[in-house]
Amino acid sequence: MAATRGPRPGALLAAALTLPGVVPQAVAQSVPDTGYIQFKYLDYRDWQPGARRMRVENPGLFVLKPLSESLVIEGSLVYDGMSGASPLYFNALSGASGEGVTDYRSAGDVRLTKYFDRFSIGVGVAYSHERDYISRAGSIEVRTWTADKNRTYAFGFAGSADRISADEGAVQGERKNVLDFLFGITQVLSPTSIVQSNITYSRGHGYFTDPYKLLDNRPDHRRILAWLTRYNEHFPSRDGTLQLAYRYIDDSFGADSNMLEVAWVQPLPHGWSVRPSLRYYTQKSAFFYFGPPVGSGLRPGEPYTADTRLSAFGAWTPGILVAKQLDDGWSVDLKLEYYEQRGSWRLGGDGSEGLLPFSARWIQVGVTKTF
Amino acid sequence: MAATHEITVDADDAEQARDAVDAAIADVLRIEAKYSRYRDDSVTTAINRAAGLREVAIDAETAALLRYADHCHALSRGHFDITSGVLRRAWDFRSASPRVPDAAEVEALRALVGWEHVQWSGEAVRLELHGMEIDFGGIGKEYAADRAATILQERGIAHALVNLGGDLRAVGGQQGGAPWRIGIRHPRRPASAVVASVDVSDGAIATSGDAERYFEKDGRRYCHLLDACTGMPVSAWQAISVAAPLAVVAGSCSTIAMLLESEAAAFLESQAVAWLGVDANGTLHGTLAQ
Repeated sequence: MAATRGPRPGALLAAALTLPGVVPQAVAQSVPDTGYIQFKYLDYRDWQPGARRMRVENPGLFVLKPLSESLVIEGSLVYDGMSGASPLYFNALSGASGEGVTDYRSAGDVRLTKYFDRFSIGVGVAYSHERDYISRAGSIEVRTWTADKNRTYAFGFAGSADRISADEGAVQGERKNVLDFLFGITQVLSPTSIVQSNITYSRGHGYFTDPYKLLDNRPDHRRILAWLTRYNEHFPSRDGTLQLAYRYIDDSFGADSNMLEVAWVQPLPHGWSVRPSLRYYTQKSAFFYFGPPVGSGLRPGEPYTADTRLSAFGAWTPGILVAKQLDDGWSVDLKLEYYEQRGSWRLGGDGSEGLLPFSARWIQVGVTKTF
Repeated sequence: MAATHEITVDADDAEQARDAVDAAIADVLRIEAKYSRYRDDSVTTAINRAAGLREVAIDAETAALLRYADHCHALSRGHFDITSGVLRRAWDFRSASPRVPDAAEVEALRALVGWEHVQWSGEAVRLELHGMEIDFGGIGKEYAADRAATILQERGIAHALVNLGGDLRAVGGQQGGAPWRIGIRHPRRPASAVVASVDVSDGAIATSGDAERYFEKDGRRYCHLLDACTGMPVSAWQAISVAAPLAVVAGSCSTIAMLLESEAAAFLESQAVAWLGVDANGTLHGTLAQ
């Protein structure tokens, strides 16, 4: 029979999917038509065997509001209260939980985005202030998309100028300037899947050293190339969405890293949804990192650090986000994350030696109102 | 689209549900007004009036529907043809005293049937022969059902059933996880008689058959489904129901299968859809016949 040799299986379905609006489209770019105001409160603690370290309590306010059909303003205000054995000092040093430090940081940013028929322009400024560190930043981002809105290109440029003064250290008025360049593509692959890939090149010079760390002396130039790719696929049969993210960072300090995250968003009846996630992170050590004891490997005039954040390690972060949609545009969410870092978990090689495991947890509650 | 239309929504927020349903109904009415061949101001009427005279500019939506009609025509090897409506001038199923037209009458009208006489692009369409007509009858209603489902979803409705004259599109099952249970009517028995029931959470079911718009003459039943290749009503099947991810696919598959007669099963299998057919003797066939 002729009908059996002709059509390709499912040819009509493929043809029907080109009809406008027969299935909800994953759209790469659109103007937000609703605004929201969101309050988040983060409680962060980290610890090592036998020692509690940092505690951060961080309330934050985020607002997005369409000012017209083509103009959107968004902004945030964040306040950090930090206390504990900070700034993070040497991991294996028993005295690190000594007298402790209390510090506060307040930060805010505003971004204005204007949408045109085939492109948008966003301009943003940010300011952050704490006792020993002031940062000012500005950014501009241009996005352009294809007529069917299935592909979006993003071009971004940002610059920041920081000033560092540490009471306890002999550091006054040091500067650090960083320029960031971003290029990204977002592509709708099918009505249920979308992929986004961004490359950011960051070039900084100035004072990268930690003023609170004994003997810390870092290069005054840093170049970072970060490549982040996200893939989301919705599975209508399960009413859930798979979210994958992979990031590779090439760092001139030598602390190259890989990050992979897998998450699943599952809507449940009565407005509930859950998002379990698992993230793996692994990095090499900076070329000027030297493990315990302090001072080993130190050569006069050469870069040196004992900051464990620049050591070689691997880390796992399981997490869960539970959200509930309420009436009248209100929603609430709770996020829990647990982080554990060990030298031995580094992928494809040994981690730095002599470091205790490092653990942290995040509890974040959020309330959002859309309008 | 003179039939019963119904949208069922399972939601907690009554106001949100009402807004979503209003928007979905508005879009169904928009499509009806835009493509109805009975309306003086529709796109279909404008295209038909210009037949043999000039081309008519069309928008992206109309172009997409023409492209889909082109696929249906190719996959059915010409049996499904949106220009076949002129045959109704000979086959009048609405008449109080219907008659079987003679062969010459049908042949004369068949000269005006032919997708190959339609010149179309993304921007314009032209019917080459004076007297030609197109209609979106085999596609438009199901397309409207799919769009209604999308509009409901985009407005936060996770559980809905759109029923446009017996062509159904389900979204997300019922609240609490149960699927929508859809009964398939028996084509010869009263409306309440069901030959099968199908559970659908996300997907569509459409039926094409001879149960409505037909007449009987000398013991033979003549139904409204006319084969564009012969100009004659089809008779191999009483009805064919198709379950597919989209209503527009279910609808065109069931119609094409009816028109392909003895090749219906092979065609439906090639389209990877689930189906239930009632043949001329009343025997059930298809993947849903168990």
